Amino acid sequence: MGGYILKRIAFAIPTLIVVSIGIFLMVRLLPGDIIDILFGGDLSASEEVKEQAREQLGLNGSYLEQYWRWISGAAQGDLGFSLRSTEPVSNVVLDALPVTLELLILALLIAVLIGVPLGVISAVKRDRAADYAARVGGLVGLSIPSFWLATLLLLFTSRVFGWVPPLNYVSPFDDPIANLSQFILPAISISVFTMAIVMRMVRATMLEVLGQDYVRTARAKGVSRRKVISKHALRNALIPVITIVGFEIGVLIGGAAIIETIFGLPGIGYVLLQAISGRDYPVIQAMTLLIAFTFIFANLLVDILYGVLDPRISQG
Amino acid sequence: MSPRRSAPEPAFATDRGGDVVTVWEAMPKRRLAVLGKWRNPIGLAGAFIVVFNVFVAVLGSQIWRLDPNELAYLRFEGPSWAHPMGTDELGRDTLARIIHGAQVSLQVGAISVSIAFVGGVVFGMLAGYYKGILDTVLMRLVDIMFSLPGIVLAIVIAGLLGPNRRNAMIAIGIVILPAFARVVRGAVLEVMGYPYTESARALGASGRRIMLRHVIPNIAAPLLVLVTVYLSVAILAEAALSFLGLGTQPPEAAWGGMLSTARTYVDIDPWLTIFPGAAIMIVVLGFNLLGDGLRDILDPRLGPHVGDVPVKK
Repeated sequence: MGGYILKRIAFAIPTLIVVSIGIFLMVRLLPGDIIDILFGGDLSASEEVKEQAREQLGLNGSYLEQYWRWISGAAQGDLGFSLRSTEPVSNVVLDALPVTLELLILALLIAVLIGVPLGVISAVKRDRAADYAARVGGLVGLSIPSFWLATLLLLFTSRVFGWVPPLNYVSPFDDPIANLSQFILPAISISVFTMAIVMRMVRATMLEVLGQDYVRTARAKGVSRRKVISKHALRNALIPVITIVGFEIGVLIGGAAIIETIFGLPGIGYVLLQAISGRDYPVIQAMTLLIAFTFIFANLLVDILYGVLDPRISQG
Repeated sequence: MSPRRSAPEPAFATDRGGDVVTVWEAMPKRRLAVLGKWRNPIGLAGAFIVVFNVFVAVLGSQIWRLDPNELAYLRFEGPSWAHPMGTDELGRDTLARIIHGAQVSLQVGAISVSIAFVGGVVFGMLAGYYKGILDTVLMRLVDIMFSLPGIVLAIVIAGLLGPNRRNAMIAIGIVILPAFARVVRGAVLEVMGYPYTESARALGASGRRIMLRHVIPNIAAPLLVLVTVYLSVAILAEAALSFLGLGTQPPEAAWGGMLSTARTYVDIDPWLTIFPGAAIMIVVLGFNLLGDGLRDILDPRLGPHVGDVPVKK
């Protein structure tokens, strides 16, 4: 088991390095010189001043030098300074990360806690009303844009309950209730797509597992239907679902990027969008790397969890 | 990313239909017998929505002749005979703007999926056919792109290229390209292993001939499914980018942009929010249903749906 985990980590590290090179090059190769944009319109700026600015931003030297400076700094927690607020980027990251993580965890919980039971019901009650309702709901969930759902939810709560979530971010440590009431609508909005995926996957794997010999054997030897479903079938049906959840974290991060803007939550996506419109390159680089890191790390966890749940994988 | 386990294959072949099929099957058979294996209710429902969408995009502005950008009417009007979807904050006719949005979304879908298709087929074939270093490098690139959530990558690329529709289409095309490359590569590797490809080679067929005559026809089915499914992804992505102000720019009507403006006026006029959002949802649903149906008909082995683990053989 230990060896399996080490092997997984060893796989993740080169991926992370390659991804960081990819992000570094992407920001540089896309058209538009950072310096020209910063001095946009200011034609009086001499080459000397520009060169000085370049040096300050760590944009002098070859790409190799620049990359090394960036990545070795990043490894030590130094991501440079924001071009707009001149704050250290690491501070910006530390402020934004908890917001997004909370949103992701809440959304994932909602998706799994509702998606799995729906999938089970849909499979067990196959071809009955509950199954159709769940399946049609699943397809709609796959197609509904999260940003539209968010607006509809806001409309609904304000019309029906006369309630709108607080607009300024509240830390969970200051006021957990206010914080939760702020996160619940955005979390629901981004969870629906994942919920639909989880539900469809659980339904498909459950149907497959329910047809297996060992399920029939368990029933034949007198185990109750309920117990067969929860102990024998569901456990085996859930294993493939875990993989999906790992992949869905990427989708959730993407959804969070859009939803944070709607609800004014100062998370990674919100900061990234602000940075893009302000051409704040160090922040864009750091946020993109952070998103990739979160995604790779989540998948690493999923891989390890998968190995724990299914010994055939960690030993094979 | 670590090499992914191939997705478990759920019993999709058996999990479709249900009552819908039974009702369907109770109908007089002869009428639909022509359709043969194409008689798939899910796919047909999707095809209907897609055809309707194309119809609206192509002929809609001929039938509903109001100008989507004319500020000629009262503002914030609810649905009426004169304006079936009401008017917006500047007094423009919402139906005319929805129709224009259909053209925009279809254009974006077609162009960005074409970019991904051409790029994906070329890269996937090169990687699958020549293997070796080329394969490793290309697939590493694909891995990088899969390590970033698609919409985030699209936001960064579109944002840095500059916010307009052309750049949004390029960004979306680039982001979905790896999915095509990966499937094509997998399919090429599979087809290259079959005896008929080997015998073609033994008979002296050139690489190009093998590609064109043996490989392409054999991967046409998975490609068709992929195109359908990624049309929905592209349309949704364009709506998201326009919503964030990184796609189609106002005053031009695009569904995502309309939603974004409508959000400001949601308390005054909820209709402005409802129509563009519903339009996006219905069209995306249509392509999803069509993709699901095609998958059942053409290749039940293709595995799970969009957003699931990328299909890797």
